[in-house]
Amino acid sequence: MRSLNGRLLIAASVVLVAFLSLTGFTLDRAFRDSASSAVRDRLQAQLYMLLGAADLDAFNRLSLPQSLPEARFSTPDSGLYADVMDNQGNLVWRSPSLLGLALPFFPAVRNPGDTQFAPLESSNDTPLFVLAFTVSWETAPNQYRLYTFRVAETQWNFRDQLWSFRRSLWGWLLASTGVLLAVQGAILRWSLKPLRQVAAEVTDIEAGRRTELSGSYPEELQPLTVNLNALLRHAHAHLDRYRNALGDLAHSLKTPLAVLRGALENSAPDEELRHTLSEQVERMNRTVDYQLQRAAASGRIALSAPLPVAPVARKILDSLAKVYASRAPQLQCEVTASTVFYGDEGDLMEILGNLADNACKWCHRQVVVRAHPAAHGDRMELVVEVEDDGPGIPAEQAPLLLGRGQRADPTVAGHGIGLAVVRDLVEEIYYGRLDISRGALGGALVRARLRFQANGG
Amino acid sequence: MRILIIEDEAPLLQRVSTQLREQGYAVDTAADGRTGLYLGQEYPLDAAVVDLGLPDLSGIEIIRRWRAAGRPFPILILTARGRWQDKVEGLEAGADDYLVKPFYLEELLARLRALIRRTGGWSQAVLACGPIALDTGAQQVTLAGQPVELTAYEYKLLEYLMLRAGTVISKTELTEHLYQEDEDRDSNVLEVLVGRLRRKLDPDRTLNPIETLRGRGYRLRLERA
Repeated sequence: MRSLNGRLLIAASVVLVAFLSLTGFTLDRAFRDSASSAVRDRLQAQLYMLLGAADLDAFNRLSLPQSLPEARFSTPDSGLYADVMDNQGNLVWRSPSLLGLALPFFPAVRNPGDTQFAPLESSNDTPLFVLAFTVSWETAPNQYRLYTFRVAETQWNFRDQLWSFRRSLWGWLLASTGVLLAVQGAILRWSLKPLRQVAAEVTDIEAGRRTELSGSYPEELQPLTVNLNALLRHAHAHLDRYRNALGDLAHSLKTPLAVLRGALENSAPDEELRHTLSEQVERMNRTVDYQLQRAAASGRIALSAPLPVAPVARKILDSLAKVYASRAPQLQCEVTASTVFYGDEGDLMEILGNLADNACKWCHRQVVVRAHPAAHGDRMELVVEVEDDGPGIPAEQAPLLLGRGQRADPTVAGHGIGLAVVRDLVEEIYYGRLDISRGALGGALVRARLRFQANGG
Repeated sequence: MRILIIEDEAPLLQRVSTQLREQGYAVDTAADGRTGLYLGQEYPLDAAVVDLGLPDLSGIEIIRRWRAAGRPFPILILTARGRWQDKVEGLEAGADDYLVKPFYLEELLARLRALIRRTGGWSQAVLACGPIALDTGAQQVTLAGQPVELTAYEYKLLEYLMLRAGTVISKTELTEHLYQEDEDRDSNVLEVLVGRLRRKLDPDRTLNPIETLRGRGYRLRLERA
């Protein structure tokens, strides 16, 4: 079963049909019981009437008058019959309506006061309800005889009632089943409409007719569409970044190439040519390095699982401890275990690695790496700080080092391309901010604020 | 000093190995990972330079296997991608330093010297034992502040002895670490070399910097400064 619509429809229909059939059977049963007890009550009343009319005749035998209050006992084949048996089973009296018929031999004479009721068939196979009642009749003082009074009625009336009830009952049930199924189908179509809409919009996105999903979705679908949109935006940003990087790269290689061509055309002396060549090659190398690192940044913010910062910081510091083993700087990591980063591990390594590497280069003895979460409006921030006890960075040099206002070819000696790469990562990919200031240890304090949505998505 | 270079780019391998040989190192080369792995496991190396991007076996894997086999020599990794993830992975696997391509040969030499010094327990570029000072950067030796003229082999021998000052070094170890595979390895040559070194460093025979331990080898007996 591959369609949600189909699944829901089948499941709901099965439940509905089962429920309605059960209801039908229960109602049918209840009606039948109440109709048959009505018949019994009626027969009981007739029986009491007969008892009231019965009397002893001259020979001390039980007899009933010719005309009974109930005319149907006197009309042959009227559908209402009665007879009286003595305790030997001999018929003492039978109603005129029983002309040519006999009530079935039921029930056997029992104890006085017993009542029995049963559906039975007459001698000509007419279905009947029979009610029997045994009485003890005082024929003489202290002389009692047992008589069984029996009253019977045909079932035709009862069956007609039952069938007409059943017809209307099942008719209504079927009709309501149909209506409910139709309503349910309509509800399903209506409820699943957003899913069809998503599919249609995704098709539109594929075809390039729209760039992202519209925002008006039910809240159950919101996480899906919001994340899908984030993914789409991320893919777009990625593409844009590649495009920009390629443009920047081509652009920034043009200048050294022009310088080289100029040097060739001027037929400068060998020494000068060599100098220009090495200078421009170095410049091109830096540019390529920088653009490569920028392009490598993945910025996988959308849909990333929280990544604990402490192990990454630990790895970076362990690596730097090895690289700077001869200077043996004191590397301190102040990151709590619960601090997390929503993004790509490679990006975090790049940020921490470059900052800590610079700090190690410039530090006197001590480097501290800190990271802690902070709230920024409805978004979460991860604040990463790297501090050293080196000479520090003069305030007027900071913007230069961060390469603000220039996109490529950051050729500041010493800090290399590291800071510029970190700035790009922090500000362009994680929508944060990179600041340089003077720390408590006296050296440079570089602080990166990385921003995520509150749910981390 | 015996150094292994694993690099699949032939011109770079050629350039680096030539340069290192000129600097007096005994150089073994491998153009692919499997050969490199084998050489590192079999040869008595003082350091290895490993390119991470090899076609058959990754540099990281080679380093892991060496370290798992207990090979102790320092390892410098070369990587074309400057990503920290790669650097950290390499250093975690057991490398000691990294260099991002393209690099200057001087940079490579300086890093190698520093790594080898570090293994011997020296942190400064100038090794000093008693009145003898050896500048590994400038490759110059002074005795009580006066420059001493040494041949390339004499320098190599003294550097090796000073790096491991205080420990006994067998003749086999010395020949293995100082000579190129295809060079003459007559142990008499080594004795002659030690004799010449003693005369140059201890002209009036009062210092006795290098002692001979019969049947065991040589030891630089001066205290590290």
